[in-house]
Amino acid sequence: MKKIVVGGQIDKQRIASMVETIAGDQATVEVKGDIEAAMAVKTGAADLYLGACNTGGGGALAMAIAILGLSSCSTISMPGNIKSEEEIKAEVEAGKKAFGFTAQDIDVVVPVLLKYVL
Amino acid sequence: MLQYIVIALLGALAAVLANTGVAVFNDGFRPIVSEYREGQIDRKALAVTSFALSFGLVVGFGIPVSLAATVILIHSVALGTDIIGSFCPEGKVGMAISAVIGAVYGIGIVYGLQFIVDLFSKLPINFLDSLSQVGTPITIAFAIFPAVAVGLEYGFKKATLTAAVTLLVYQLTVRFGTIPMGNSKITLNASGMALLAGMIFLIVFAVRDKSDASNTNEQLVTVFSEKVKRIQKNVPILAVMGGLVAMATSLSLVIGDPISQNLVSEGDMMSAAMAALARAIGFIPLIATTAITTGVYSPVGMTFVFVVGLLVHNPVIAFVLGAVVITLEVLLLSSVAKFLDKFPGVRKCGDNIRTAMGRVLNISLLLGGMMAAQAIAPGIGIFVIVALYVLNKFSKKPIVEMAIGPVGAISVGILVNILYLLGLYTVAK
Repeated sequence: MKKIVVGGQIDKQRIASMVETIAGDQATVEVKGDIEAAMAVKTGAADLYLGACNTGGGGALAMAIAILGLSSCSTISMPGNIKSEEEIKAEVEAGKKAFGFTAQDIDVVVPVLLKYVL
Repeated sequence: MLQYIVIALLGALAAVLANTGVAVFNDGFRPIVSEYREGQIDRKALAVTSFALSFGLVVGFGIPVSLAATVILIHSVALGTDIIGSFCPEGKVGMAISAVIGAVYGIGIVYGLQFIVDLFSKLPINFLDSLSQVGTPITIAFAIFPAVAVGLEYGFKKATLTAAVTLLVYQLTVRFGTIPMGNSKITLNASGMALLAGMIFLIVFAVRDKSDASNTNEQLVTVFSEKVKRIQKNVPILAVMGGLVAMATSLSLVIGDPISQNLVSEGDMMSAAMAALARAIGFIPLIATTAITTGVYSPVGMTFVFVVGLLVHNPVIAFVLGAVVITLEVLLLSSVAKFLDKFPGVRKCGDNIRTAMGRVLNISLLLGGMMAAQAIAPGIGIFVIVALYVLNKFSKKPIVEMAIGPVGAISVGILVNILYLLGLYTVAK
C-alpha cells in the first residue's frame, strides 16, 4: 500500500483521479498544497510526490526540490521532451521520490510511472 | 530607438541577475540556483539544467506565441536571459559578459521578430492579416476563467452560477454600459466588467473557505528567514529590474501572458490590465513560496509590474511605479506569506487560477489557430491544425499544447506559399 501525495501547481484533481483509477486499492491518494505534500514525503507520512505544471520542472517540483533536495526529485517530462519508459524505470529504481511533469503529458507519463512504483 | 534601449537594458540586467543568482524567471529554476549556491551542484550542472528547463519553452512557446500577436511574451526574453546568466562564469567578468550578451539577446529578439514579420509580408501570399485571428477567441473568452477556477475547487453548480453571472454582466454592460458625462460619454468595457464579476465570485468563495487552515507559510518564513533576508538585501537592483519591465510593458514591447498579449494587440488596454491583475493574484502563492524557500526572486516579481505597465502610458512614470511595486512586494514578502495562511482558500485559489487560465488558453488558442488557418487557406487550413493536434499526442517530443494553434497557423501560411511556388495552389481572386 503506497501513500501518494499530489502537489505541484496545476491539474491536481486530474492527476489524483487518474492515480485512483489505475492504482485502485494499491495506493491512497491525497491532494495537498505543494509545501504540505513535500513535507509529507520528508517526514515519511507519504511515499511518493507527484506534481504537474506547465514546464515539468517548474512549479511542479519547486517546493519538492527545496524541501527534499534535488537528488530525490526527477522531472519525467518537460515541454518538447518526455522521458522514455526505460528512463522513468531507471529514475524509480534510483530511489527518486518526487516526480514532476507537464500537465499536457499527464496521460502519457503517470500510467508508466505507476507501473514501476506500485 | 527608445524601444531598443529599453529592451537592451532589460535583457542585460535580467542576465546579470540570473548570473549572480539574485533572480531567475523560471519558477523551477529557482530551487536549482539555491542548490548551486549551497554547493550541492557545480556551475556546469547549473548551466545545463537552465538550458534543459528553459530552452524548449523559448522556442516552442515564447517565440511562436509572440509571432502571432506582435507584442513579445516576456518568456521569450527572460527564459533566454536565465540561460545566458547561468552559462556565463561567476564574478565581475562573468557579470560583464552576461550584461553584453543579455543586451544583444534582447535586441535580437525584438529585431528578429520584426525581421520575420517583414519577411512574411514579402511572401507571394500574405497571411499576416489572417494570422492575427489566432488571438480573436481569447480576447472574448478569457472572462470565463474565474468560473473555471471556481469549478475546480467548488464544483459544477457554483461554476455554472459564476459563468451565468459573468455572461449576464457582459451583456448588461454591452447594452447599458455607456454613461453620458456632459458632452462626452464613458463606455465601460464589457469583457473587463465580466471578468471583474467572475473574479469577485471566485474571491468571495475563496475567502469563505476556511477548510484545512494551517500555519505552513509562517513556519516557512521562520525556517527560511536567512533566504528572505537575502532577497530583501537585493531590493534596489530588483526595483530597477521591475521598473524596466513596467517601462517595456508601457511601450507595448513585452507582456506577461498570452491573454493580455492578445488584448493588447486588439488595443484593449483596460481588459489587458484586468487579466494581468487576475493572473498576478494567481501567481502570488507560487512566487512567494519559491522565493522564500530559495532566496532567489523573479525578475518580474509577482507580475504586478505588468499591470502597472498596462495602466500607465508614460514610460518614465511606469518605470518609477514598477520599481515601487517590486520594492513593496519584496518588503512585504513574509507578511504576504503569513497572511495567506489565514485564507487557505485563497492559496488554493492561486493554483486553480493557473490551471483555469491554462485550460481557457489551450482551447481558445487552438480555436484561434483554426480560424486563422481557415482564413489563410480555406479547406486545408483546418485539416492541418486538427492533424497537428491529434498527431502531436504521439510525438516523443510534443510541442506545447498552447502553441499548436499559433505554430499551426504559421505553418499553414508557409505551406500555402510553398504550394503556390510549386504551382499546386491558386489564390481565389
